[in-house]
Amino acid sequence: MTNPPQPGRSLRSWLAIDEREGVVRFAQSAAGRIAIFAFVLALLCLPQVVKRLDPPWWVACTLIGLAAHAYLPRFRGPILFAFTWAIATLSLPASPMAYASLGVFFVLSWCAIVYARGCPGHLVARRPVVTLLAIQLALACVASMLPGGGITDSVWSFLLVSVGGYWFLAYAIVDQRSRDRSPDLFQMGVVRPFWVTSSTPIGKGAAFLRRHLSLTPHDLAVTQIKGVKLLIWAVVLLGTNAALYRVVILELGIPTTHDALAAFLEGTPYPILIGWSAVIFSTVHTSLAVAVWGHKIIGLARLAGFRLPRNMYRPLESRTLAEFWNRFYFYFKEMLVDFFYIPAFLSAFKKSPRLRILFSTLMAAGVGNAVFHFVRDIGLVQTMGMRDAIVSFNSYLFYSTVLGTGIAVSQMRRLSGFVPGSTPIARIWSFICVWSFVVCLNIFGDESRVHTLFERLAFMASLFGAG
Amino acid sequence: MKPADKSAVHDFLVGLLRQNRDQRPLADNEPIFSSGRLDSFSLMQTVVHLEETFGIDFSGGGFDMELLDSVDDIEALIDKKR
Repeated sequence: MTNPPQPGRSLRSWLAIDEREGVVRFAQSAAGRIAIFAFVLALLCLPQVVKRLDPPWWVACTLIGLAAHAYLPRFRGPILFAFTWAIATLSLPASPMAYASLGVFFVLSWCAIVYARGCPGHLVARRPVVTLLAIQLALACVASMLPGGGITDSVWSFLLVSVGGYWFLAYAIVDQRSRDRSPDLFQMGVVRPFWVTSSTPIGKGAAFLRRHLSLTPHDLAVTQIKGVKLLIWAVVLLGTNAALYRVVILELGIPTTHDALAAFLEGTPYPILIGWSAVIFSTVHTSLAVAVWGHKIIGLARLAGFRLPRNMYRPLESRTLAEFWNRFYFYFKEMLVDFFYIPAFLSAFKKSPRLRILFSTLMAAGVGNAVFHFVRDIGLVQTMGMRDAIVSFNSYLFYSTVLGTGIAVSQMRRLSGFVPGSTPIARIWSFICVWSFVVCLNIFGDESRVHTLFERLAFMASLFGAG
Repeated sequence: MKPADKSAVHDFLVGLLRQNRDQRPLADNEPIFSSGRLDSFSLMQTVVHLEETFGIDFSGGGFDMELLDSVDDIEALIDKKR
């Protein structure tokens, strides 16, 4: 048994319940396992949580799948496969076309994986992202030029259903060249695993998941306790975000960035201090929302036995922009590194280290970032047309370009030997620099596509007293 | 791969770990990148080091982090390329 917590360390000791052998032993018992999942079910079905996260049917089905995966190790591949595709089907609108689209995506995904394994030199195997994106954009272009009805509607249905699994499929194709390739059922079961409510591969692909799978009952128990802790933290942040919104927006009357921008464009701008308050609060609100969503997904994955790193880890401690990029949205960064940064780095500007890093980082944090978000919202091409969808994207394009440039500069400083200071003053200064950049840039990172780039630039200038 | 070269690779990776304030020792068969001890930036610094020191070309497509995940993996890669 762990010694009683020492005075002055009681909070840290209390929080580290996954290090207490008695708790870990209980979590391995039948009663403990039931308690874990019953507690999480109750936690995620609290009215305020349900209002902002997932419906109870999804929570219940997902928890059953996670428990089955955790406690039936011999059947993990079939369990993953069955639950992923069943919940994907149940999550669709009740439409024959949607079901057919998912079926087509399933068949094409399996074919792509088998083909990549058999023909490792083919473009599909060597450049899966380029191939998948080219196919998707070509289909979108063709569908946007055809008149509505029949085939056109089928193509759009396929695009909208399949877009959520694209990047997972890319990881699955890449996994075929691994010397420890994942079994097919497991592979297909993690083409957007059933606990992931995102187009971003949170948990990457099968190879990464298998490397982080808990193999002993003790490890599984520790992983699951860590998962429960993370889910509790997600709910705490959810409540904090809701409370902040009530106080700042509803009680104090601080506008959102969207409303402040709208007021500025109408000729009735808020005072500069209110404008900055709006922008700062919107950044806080968005950051907390990303934290809640990422922690929920990782917490659920840990209940299945995957001891995955968190998606967001202490972003307030970032001392450089490059470090922030790693801490704020880890799996998005990993995806961009795997599919954009590394291929660019290996093939361009080999004789110039600085140019090589600059180009590769822009390809990842700039181009890759923009491509991901445009493709994720491919449905807007259907509603707005290709031309308007591209034009309305210019603000986010600016956002990703500036972000990529900032991260590239930060990495080049690191290459030059720059090490941020560790004193309290230095840490505060680093915090101010990093988060000032993030707050200002977030004016352009809004994905609503309501305001143009120039409107946002004018609004930002007004916050500095210009215009 | 000569023992001196392997030792040089080991020292290079330890140098990267020290830059990241990681003072723990490094075993030759220990995963460095998949375990998270070093990040993707350090991975690319390793790529550059191997390109310049051993003349390895990684641009043919099919790059896999597993090729460089430990000192032993790097030794196997260099022996294969030579």
